[in-house]
Amino acid sequence: MSRVAWTLVDLLSRLLDGEEREAVLGDLRETGQSAWRGFEDVSGLILRRQAALWRDPRPWLAGFVVALPCSYLLTHVSISVTCTYERLVNHRVYACWHTGHEGFPLLLCHILLLAAWSWSGGYIVGSVSRRTVWMSAALSVIPSMFCLCWDGHVFPARPCVFLFVLPAIFGVYRGLQSAAIPLRAAMLLALTVTVLMISAWTNQALWALNWALVLPAWYLVATAWRSRRGSGVMPMRRASVPQG
Amino acid sequence: MLGEFEYLLITVASGLGENAYGAAIREEIEATTERRCSLGALYTTIDRLEKKGLLKTWMGEATPQRGGRAKRMVQVTSQGVHAAKEFYDAVMRVSRGASWAKSGARSGTKAEAESR
Repeated sequence: MSRVAWTLVDLLSRLLDGEEREAVLGDLRETGQSAWRGFEDVSGLILRRQAALWRDPRPWLAGFVVALPCSYLLTHVSISVTCTYERLVNHRVYACWHTGHEGFPLLLCHILLLAAWSWSGGYIVGSVSRRTVWMSAALSVIPSMFCLCWDGHVFPARPCVFLFVLPAIFGVYRGLQSAAIPLRAAMLLALTVTVLMISAWTNQALWALNWALVLPAWYLVATAWRSRRGSGVMPMRRASVPQG
Repeated sequence: MLGEFEYLLITVASGLGENAYGAAIREEIEATTERRCSLGALYTTIDRLEKKGLLKTWMGEATPQRGGRAKRMVQVTSQGVHAAKEFYDAVMRVSRGASWAKSGARSGTKAEAESR
């Protein structure tokens, strides 16, 4: 029983930073405490560390201003892309979902937009608040789960609501590595997203609210520009950026 | 101005000298105050004091008693000593005239005798 409890303590302590984990586990071992008190100590420390992170506005911004609203919009774009694909390729029309009049070029435009939006949103979540990514990730699946619960039975395939997840994960991964991408790449991404959005918008293929998804790409431009000004030529590395 | 727990931690760390690290500080605080001291409170306070420049910490050596894990060593800086002295002086000043401070030792002995 005690061995199982200590394994739990060990697993829980993985949520701590490397050096802190080392010191805490060593302290628990040295003082020969019960597994229960060890569990209490480690969980208490983790709670305090997490609470300290949430005193900063960045985790709130990453979770509630970027992850949650973007994933809501991206869930709808994912469904729309799947329905359009089904209509064009398999000639199946889902009446409950307005698939519009889009052809293959607009479908391609949607797919590219979906990937770019998801990637840029994920990048911001990863770079703005590295240590609360788990919370942002949890928030970003809420709209998809909600959609599945409400009208999942009418979708072409249930996993379609998660189409945005893969590029978003890539974005988060890159965001965790560096706080800004090179200015040229950021500009290219933002301009491509804007041009594609205008093209889709003029063909009445997207929802007005989807304009909000262009903002993360332009935020990346602003961050790249700022970091270029701050550090000379190259963007700032993650290590030099305060962590949320 | 330091908080009560911050003062305790600095005083204990200062008393332990070169042997000041997480587990030792915790044991000393618990023994002195007869109150439980959680590792969460201890390490977050150490971090806070280090950010204020009142403590310096580094990873020390690993010992077999600790399962081969390193200690987080603590050293009080001169700023820390100054802040602790300031706190102590303030407590002494504010306690002047307090009933428990006037006859500290005597009333303590009397209370102990009564409780027996």
